Amino acid sequence: MPHSDADERRVRFESLALPFMRALYNTALRLTQEPQDAADLMQETFLRAYRTFENFSPGTNCKAWLFTILYSIFVNQYRQAKQRPRVESLEELEQRFHQFAQAPDPASDMTTVDGWGRRWSPEVERALRQLQEDFRAPLLLVDVEELAYEEAASVLGCAVGTVGSRLFRGRKLLFAMLQEYAHEAGYGKGNSRDR
Amino acid sequence: MTDTVNHLGPTLQDFLDGRLDDTREVEVRAHLDGCPRCRSELEALRWVREVALKQLPGEEVPPALADRVAAALDAADGRTRPAASWTIRWWRWATAGALLAAATLALLLLFRPRADLVKAVARDFAEYSNGHLALDLRSSDGPAVESLYARGGIDFRTRVFDLRMMQYRLVGGRVHRLRGRPSALFAYQGPEGRDLVCQMFEGRLAELPRSVDVHEHNGITFQVYRSGALTLVFWQEGAVVCVLASDAGSEAVIQLAYAKAAKE
Repeated sequence: MPHSDADERRVRFESLALPFMRALYNTALRLTQEPQDAADLMQETFLRAYRTFENFSPGTNCKAWLFTILYSIFVNQYRQAKQRPRVESLEELEQRFHQFAQAPDPASDMTTVDGWGRRWSPEVERALRQLQEDFRAPLLLVDVEELAYEEAASVLGCAVGTVGSRLFRGRKLLFAMLQEYAHEAGYGKGNSRDR
Repeated sequence: MTDTVNHLGPTLQDFLDGRLDDTREVEVRAHLDGCPRCRSELEALRWVREVALKQLPGEEVPPALADRVAAALDAADGRTRPAASWTIRWWRWATAGALLAAATLALLLLFRPRADLVKAVARDFAEYSNGHLALDLRSSDGPAVESLYARGGIDFRTRVFDLRMMQYRLVGGRVHRLRGRPSALFAYQGPEGRDLVCQMFEGRLAELPRSVDVHEHNGITFQVYRSGALTLVFWQEGAVVCVLASDAGSEAVIQLAYAKAAKE
C-alpha cells in the first residue's frame, strides 16, 4: 500500500506508463537502428516522463504522450545525418509505384487484402530501415503503433496535413520497395518487375 | 474512366484511413467502381498498412533494460526523497510494526488472485495438453460446442472461433471453472500437433496482474503473458475476458488473437 504521495505518484506512473515499454522500445529500435541507442533512448524517455509526470493530463492518451517525449529526445540527441545508401532515388521509387498501378492487367484487378496470410519476413524490416526518417516515423506511429493522425502530429511537432502527406509518400515508397516480395507472398496482379 | 481523367491521389489514403465525410466517401466509391488504377493504388496502400507493417515482429524488452529503467526511476525518487529505492521501501515496510505488516499482508493477499488467474489458465493448458483435463464434448462443430455451454449453465455469450483458415481444427469444448467462475473452454489442434486452448469468462482485464507486454490492435487492448514456451493473450469483449493459450510461438498466438478478437 503506497504510504506517501511520492509512492502513490510512482505507482500511478508505473501503472500508466510501463505497459507501453515494449512499444516504445521497438519504436526506439526502429528510429535509432542501434540497440544500445534504443536502450538509452528508452531509459531517458521514462526518466523524463517521470520527472514531468505532472504535465500529463489524466484521461488523455498516455502512449501518445510518451511517444512525444521519446521523439523529442531522439531528434535532439540521437538523430544524426546517417544517410543510408539507397539503391533508387525517391522519385524512381514513386514512379515505380505508379507504374504498378497503371500497368494493364486484363485478367483481373489486384487481389484484395482480405484473406492474405500474415507472415513475418525480414524484407519489411529491411525496407523500413531504408526509408528516410521523415517517412519512417509517421509509418511507425500511425500504422504500427496505431496513433491517430492528430496524435502523430503532436509527437512529430508538425501539422496534421504533413503527417498525412508523409504517410502517403511513405506507404507508396515502402510498397515500391516491397513490390516483388508482396508478389511472392501471394499479393498483386502479376506485373511485378520480374515478369 | 481513363488515365487522362483526374485520379484520387492522396484522397485514396483519406478514404483508406476513414478520414472523409460521408458525401466524399460516396463520391470516392463511385470513382473506384470505374477506375482500376485507383483501385490498384488503394489496395497497394492497404497492403502496406494492414499486412506489411502489421507483420513486423516486436522485440521483447531485455530484462536488464527494464531493470535499468526501474533503477533510473529509483534514482530520480532519491533526488527528491532520499532512500526511496524499492529495497529501502521494503525495509521501511518491514520495520514499520505489526499494523503495517498486516496491511502489507492484506495487500499481498488482495493481489494474489490476479496472478493466480493467469497461472490458472496456464495450468489448465498444461493439464489439457497432458490429457488430464477432459473435454465434455469432442466435436469440430462450433455451434454444437456453443450449445454445450448454453446447456451447461454458462449464461454469457460465447463465440467459438473458426480457425480453420489458420490451420487450427476445433477439438471440442468443456464447461469449465476458472478460479471458481464459469468458463467456456474450447481447444484446437494446429500445425505440428500444437494445442491451442481458449477460455471465455466474465471479468475485467483489470483483474489481471500488470503486463509489460501490452498490444493495441484495431482499438482492442491485448495483454500478453509468457511462461516458458507458453504464451497467453488476454483481451476484453464486453463483460467477458477472452484468453488464448498455446505453446505454438508467441507471435503466432498474438496474431490468432488479433484475427479473432471482436470490438466490444
